[in-house]
Amino acid sequence: MIWRGLLLVWMAAGILAAFLWAPLVPVLGETTRVLYFHIPTAWVTVLALGWSMVHSLLYLRRRDFEHDHHAAAAAEIGLLYCIAATVSGAIWAKAMWGSYWNWDPRETSIFFLLLLYGAYLALRGAIEDPERRARLAAIYSAVAFVAVPFLIFVVPRIYFSLHPDPIINPRGKVDMDPRIRLVFSSMLLGFTGLFLWMLSLRVRVARVERRRFIES
Amino acid sequence: MPGDGSSSAAAVWAVLRKECRSEWRTRWALNSALLFAVTSLTAVSFAVGRLGDRADVLAALLWVVLLFAALASLAHAFVREVEGGTLTLLRLVASPTAIAIGKLLFNLLFLGLIEVVTVPLFLLLMGAPPPSWPAFLGLLALGSLALAAAATLVGAVISQTRGRGALFAGASFPLLLPVLAAAVSGTRAQWAGGPPTAELRLLAAYATALLAISALLVDHLWED
Repeated sequence: MIWRGLLLVWMAAGILAAFLWAPLVPVLGETTRVLYFHIPTAWVTVLALGWSMVHSLLYLRRRDFEHDHHAAAAAEIGLLYCIAATVSGAIWAKAMWGSYWNWDPRETSIFFLLLLYGAYLALRGAIEDPERRARLAAIYSAVAFVAVPFLIFVVPRIYFSLHPDPIINPRGKVDMDPRIRLVFSSMLLGFTGLFLWMLSLRVRVARVERRRFIES
Repeated sequence: MPGDGSSSAAAVWAVLRKECRSEWRTRWALNSALLFAVTSLTAVSFAVGRLGDRADVLAALLWVVLLFAALASLAHAFVREVEGGTLTLLRLVASPTAIAIGKLLFNLLFLGLIEVVTVPLFLLLMGAPPPSWPAFLGLLALGSLALAAAATLVGAVISQTRGRGALFAGASFPLLLPVLAAAVSGTRAQWAGGPPTAELRLLAAYATALLAISALLVDHLWED
């Protein structure tokens, strides 16, 4: 309860600071502000995917439905964040590069994650028996676990990208204004907290659904 | 058929032989896949004409045709078992590993047959012989291996869902995107006169990774 209230205040303060307090970067102009929303959502997209995959592997190992609840919940919420990251990225790309979509390697990898989340959830939707659904979805997730590094890390290294990399590139981090860095890291933390809260809600719903399934 | 349920070479060979024989009896999967590949190839060729000097378009079209032919047909090996109600019996006489490897080899053979017909036809229609045959064939072979590896595992999963084949293309495609990206870029480089070394390495690494994870997961595929 206290955490939920704290999260609300934290995010509200972050959003206000992002629009009113943080300075703009010369070339990026007003589009600097997308930094505080786009990168945290993209980060949560990857975090949720990792969360889902680790719990899938754990499910295959331990056969505990708790892991399946976590894997499914993280995938559902991850899809939401993935859409947010894709859309905010496309809008930014329109402002900076002149087109919404250009198959930049970063755009390719986020689109790939979108497909992956979609396929995983479609697969879950197509299996009725919970045990079989959990097992087959976990298998699919484990295979995707192999594919992800290739698209997220290998392909963008092979092809030339225009995408700015303030996290991966250490020079960008040093150049970051202290106020930008503060707002950015608090938003990163805030979005991660938001994800964990949504996750706990979804997992609790899944537990109730599971209990009702066993009772019926 | 060996009845010991082992995953020995003999069991794999038996599964492969059984696949080939039951396919050869009707040949409908092979025929429809070949027809599909030739149809899409014709559509592409008819729509764009000869493109001998456009390496980028050539590479993309070749792999799109191959990818679609694979997506349209590779789920068949497992869906056939489930629809015919023969999977339980197959599982009684062979280990999951033997079944998976047998089906993988069958899918590879199947893909190879499609390529033997489609690729020469493509090169002929487009008027673009590859400048370096070893590089071209290497890309084709590694690309097919990765394609078959992903398709076999996803096919095994998808055959146990409602609507069976329907989800196959959608579920395989994210896993095949790295193959498509590397194969297209390698084939383009090869037509443009450069060596596709990085792409060959990427394809080999991806195929190996897929095969390794499949080997780890195969025991979880069928349990009920």
